[in-house]
Amino acid sequence: MSKPIELKNVSKTFRHPMKVWDKVEAVKDLSFSMENGEIVGFVGHNGAGKTTAIKMIMGFIWPNSGEIKVNGKDPGDQEVKKTIGFLPERPYFYAQLTGMELLNYFGRLCGIKGSLLKDRSEKLLRRVGIFDDRNRKLSGYSKGMLQRIGLAQALIHDPQLVIMDEPMSGLDPIGRREVKEIIRSLKKEGKSVIFSSHILSDIENLSDRVLIIENGVKKHFGTVSEIIPPDRIRYKIEFDSPNEMKDAAFALFKGIRVVSERFIIDCDDLDDFNTKLSAIVEKGYPVLNAGGVLPSLEEIVFTTENTEVKQ
Amino acid sequence: MSRMINVAYYTFLEMVRNKVLYVLFFFALFIFGIGIAITQMSIGDVVDIISDTGLATIEMFSTVLAIFLGISLVQKELSLKTLHPLLSKPLSRTEYVLGKFFGMIFLIIVEIIFMSLIFLVLLYFYGAPGRLITYIPAIYTIFLQTSTIIAVAVLCSTLTEPTVGAMLTISFYITGATSYNLVYAITHRTSENVAKVINTLRFILPDFSHFNIKDNLVYGKGLEGLQIGFASFYALFIIVIVISLSIIFFNAKEIN
Ligand SMILES: Nc1ncnc2c1ncn2[C@@H]1O[C@H](COP(=O)(O)OP(=O)(O)OP(=O)(O)O)[C@@H](O)[C@H]1O
Ligand SMILES: [Mg+2]
Repeated sequence: MSKPIELKNVSKTFRHPMKVWDKVEAVKDLSFSMENGEIVGFVGHNGAGKTTAIKMIMGFIWPNSGEIKVNGKDPGDQEVKKTIGFLPERPYFYAQLTGMELLNYFGRLCGIKGSLLKDRSEKLLRRVGIFDDRNRKLSGYSKGMLQRIGLAQALIHDPQLVIMDEPMSGLDPIGRREVKEIIRSLKKEGKSVIFSSHILSDIENLSDRVLIIENGVKKHFGTVSEIIPPDRIRYKIEFDSPNEMKDAAFALFKGIRVVSERFIIDCDDLDDFNTKLSAIVEKGYPVLNAGGVLPSLEEIVFTTENTEVKQ
Repeated sequence: MSRMINVAYYTFLEMVRNKVLYVLFFFALFIFGIGIAITQMSIGDVVDIISDTGLATIEMFSTVLAIFLGISLVQKELSLKTLHPLLSKPLSRTEYVLGKFFGMIFLIIVEIIFMSLIFLVLLYFYGAPGRLITYIPAIYTIFLQTSTIIAVAVLCSTLTEPTVGAMLTISFYITGATSYNLVYAITHRTSENVAKVINTLRFILPDFSHFNIKDNLVYGKGLEGLQIGFASFYALFIIVIVISLSIIFFNAKEIN
């Protein structure tokens, strides 16, 4: 069975919108491949190149170099498109059609008709929570409702691979949770899902693997635990101090800080942590909290960025 | 095939619900009204003048519709990104272009039938409803001419942005409507080479005089079936070339 998505050294440059002589390198030498049945989170800041990569996967635009295969075939292939569901970034649909008409239209393009189409449409409209608005024109839909009908049209033909560009943008917290639920249930049905976002916490607890892209270049691709290296675990001790011992407490180590009456000291590594912890206990300070904390994906990405800014 | 018909049907539905259509329609009615007002003041056969105004209004309204809706057709979809979800479905770009074109043609057919009915009511009011039958060939050639404009509008909208596209389409219309006058550019004083250039131009440029059997009919000069046949062939020729080009361009276009 061929992989749902496979990119080999894909690059894409655009002409600069203002300066004709200039070029924008939106995606640079991007390679990755997705496995069947997995959820891949595609992360990057604004302008990182996520949408550009997705458009190439969909066959809307073509790479300047490199190779893309979707289910082992070229992007945009008629047969391939039958098995792909796509939710564009900030979806917009025919303003004069109703939600139900849109699903009928798109369903028929996928070769679904009659009662099957009706059943599926109604089920999906309920699933994305806009069943009551199904006979309203799309021109009257809010941003979040458009996002929801967008999701429904992407799933109308029960696709095996679902590609979503920022599926959670424009949704309220309940909506975000519902979309996450839909993504999880797709995985349970054995579908493969790739979705982009710049909100890492959305991706962290949903994706099997995370693809991080920065200025068009792949930074990481792997499971969350692979991406967060063990040496990035930060050890920290929090302790209390009786009033008369406070001055002595400050003198204990360099770099002690006080946050809301608690003394906090950061440690370099596990050894440092153990030494400091025993010293604190020995002197008789009550320890409030001690241990290692994994940085979130958010911190990882932000730190890499910060170091780049400094250079 | 069924996918193309789907695109055509929903294109029609989307356009027929567009408010701009009704603004244009009331404008057309207004022109009809002015025509009637003029007949009250003029000498000559009232029914002839009504017919003139009626056919002219149908032609004008169809042309305006073809240019403006035709141009906004693909362009609007590109700028609003309605194309992305559509083309993510198992629909080829070729089917899309054809579907859009036929959706527009469908709209124009409905519009022309509707306008003809109003025309019929007017003729009835002036006691000559039977005249409409004699005007059917003229109305048919208006349809042919409009179809070529739609094809050009589709081509322009796949090539460039809406304002430029509208301008190019209007240029096509103006060229088509006036190129016949090149005939008068050749006089006995024209040099042979200039005459050759002019004749070549006449051959290349679109020439709507092939669709103009209206004048013959209104003043009852009799009609040649040959002329209708040629007009049909001429329109089809333009449409096939222009739509083929649209398909080629659209297939090579990055849908950003
Ligand atoms: N058609 C285009 N012409 C010129 N530059 C473009 C074009 N499309 C994208 N770009 C540029 O390519 C880069 C990547 O854009 P892209 O839309 O892929 O980013 P993104 O990761 O999707 O961002 P966001 O999170 O804001 O959606 C940006 O610098 C953008 O300005
Ligand atoms: Mg984007």
